[in-house]
Amino acid sequence: MIRTENLRKIYQMGNVEVRALDGVDIHIEKGEFVGIMGPSGSGKSTLLHMLGLLDIPTSGRIFIDGTETGRLTDYQKTMFRLYKLGYVFQDYALVPELTVMENVALPAMLRADRTESQYRADTVEILGKIGLCDRRGHLQGELSGGQQQRVAIARAIVNKPDILFADEPCANLDTENSRMVLNLFHEINEQMQQTIVMVSHEDWHKEYFHRIIRLRDGKIVDGGG
Amino acid sequence: MGKKELKVSLFLAWRSLIRGNRSSTVMTVIIIALCFTNMIFLPGLFNGIGQSITTQLVDYEVGNVLVSPRAGDQYITDLDATLDLINHMPGVERATPHYTRGATLKSGDRILSVGVRAISPSDEKYVSPLYTKMIAGTYLGDGDTGEIIMGKTVAGDASVRQEDEFQPSLGGVRIGDSITIEYGNGYTKDYRVKGIYFTGWSQADGTVYTTMSDMELVEGQALDRADYITVKAKPGYSEKYIKDELQSYGVSQDVQTTSDLLAKGMGRALQSFAIINLVSLIVSIVITTVVLFIVITIKTINSRKQIGILKAIGVDKTVIMHSYGLQVIILALFGIIIGITITSLLGLYMSLHPIVTPEWSAVLYLTPIDMLTNSLILFGAAVVAGYVPAWRVAGEDIQKIMRA
Repeated sequence: MIRTENLRKIYQMGNVEVRALDGVDIHIEKGEFVGIMGPSGSGKSTLLHMLGLLDIPTSGRIFIDGTETGRLTDYQKTMFRLYKLGYVFQDYALVPELTVMENVALPAMLRADRTESQYRADTVEILGKIGLCDRRGHLQGELSGGQQQRVAIARAIVNKPDILFADEPCANLDTENSRMVLNLFHEINEQMQQTIVMVSHEDWHKEYFHRIIRLRDGKIVDGGG
Repeated sequence: MGKKELKVSLFLAWRSLIRGNRSSTVMTVIIIALCFTNMIFLPGLFNGIGQSITTQLVDYEVGNVLVSPRAGDQYITDLDATLDLINHMPGVERATPHYTRGATLKSGDRILSVGVRAISPSDEKYVSPLYTKMIAGTYLGDGDTGEIIMGKTVAGDASVRQEDEFQPSLGGVRIGDSITIEYGNGYTKDYRVKGIYFTGWSQADGTVYTTMSDMELVEGQALDRADYITVKAKPGYSEKYIKDELQSYGVSQDVQTTSDLLAKGMGRALQSFAIINLVSLIVSIVITTVVLFIVITIKTINSRKQIGILKAIGVDKTVIMHSYGLQVIILALFGIIIGITITSLLGLYMSLHPIVTPEWSAVLYLTPIDMLTNSLILFGAAVVAGYVPAWRVAGEDIQKIMRA
């Protein structure tokens, strides 16, 4: 499903060369729930952004579902993200002027293969699954952190993407809400055979992952597959 | 960009406007509305002044076309034949002669020097609406002799002391009063005041009218001459057409349209108006463009992270760009609608309370074309001002804007 070959990302900070990723080779199968872990500055988020087509590697190749993503144009990457990938960010990243319902429906609205009635039905169904149906008309500011993250997850899966990327989704949540979010990921993974790649630095999260890719100084130290 | 993408852009734009910073939205709309008002008010006022002058010039001085003596001649001679020729030409409603003599008017202890203008009253009615402007008494009839009508300025006001008068007058002459007129040729006669009129056009209101029949008595001979002939065009016929026809029919006098006369007499003033209008228009456009550019730039800078998120979840940059562009379009539309409303209200107010000077009275002269043109100019400026910053931010790298 996801494969990288000798992936490198080098930042130039003045005269200093920072190797955020240094020759990363990974392989993730369909339906896997993979955790990317490592100390701060190890390159976890950088790797996730490369895999999610949010950033461009300095060198190396990324294959998702057989497509070499480096060959895609900007527009093709956008469409690839819309149709095949879902994202959950650390700070929820909801659109503040949109209601819960509208935030979740937004990616689905743009899909050419969905009618309005279809995406409305999908949105209501997902809001039901995450237990926020009664909050569908609320704005971001009227929700708790946990609720906001659940909305962000609903938005990420509304298009039924092949892969769900989550960048430290529990970083701003307490343990109870973190567990609720992780349980939700677990359910999605189990019931929808959803491939999930999640960055985390919390050791106790590993019980939810099928496999852990450990990074240190931009290099894989364990679990690259 | 497809229909669906445009729909999403519009959806994001509308939500941002109604649920975003309302005070900023309202302020932007007000600024656009005031810029629109500023763009259209001054040109409208100048157009109103020009229109007022033109109308009064046509109504009380020259008609649509003025036939005056050739250079070197003092009068149009062979008047009857010339009038007959002009009156039978296509497009001519009526031609009427004017013959003016300098005179001194005496009423009680008041003495006033004015021009006494002889007219053919029945023909004059086709050319000038003067007969509708009587504020006392009645208009002249063709065979009247020994009777005059005069403007309010000449008649004066009995309640105003002579030393307080803005313009000299006869100090409050009334209908039926007897006035002594002494003409430049020495002919002196008592006249009865038949009517007093008020047009608002200072030159007309400072004139005394009598009939051509009476002037024949003054001249002591049949009047087959005139200082000039004013010609009224039939509806649908242009001044230029009448002028060309007159010349092609062999009228050998000097023929000028109102536009020709205005270009000569007011050309410089109209040119100045045009320059002021242009400067006002450019300033308004620049202000609007800069304000909208700043508003949208601030909005996009504040929303950089959100733009990054939208791009990350698969919203194409053109959808994002159009969402900001559409916000400006909506703001501009509301601003223009409010601007049109403000301008129309000002126009209504000024039609009820025109700007009055001793020379002219002016209202706000606005045409639908002016409104449309200014709306389109402002709209165009708003679109450019909105799209440029939106295009710049929407095109930025996701990582860069998400880190902002």
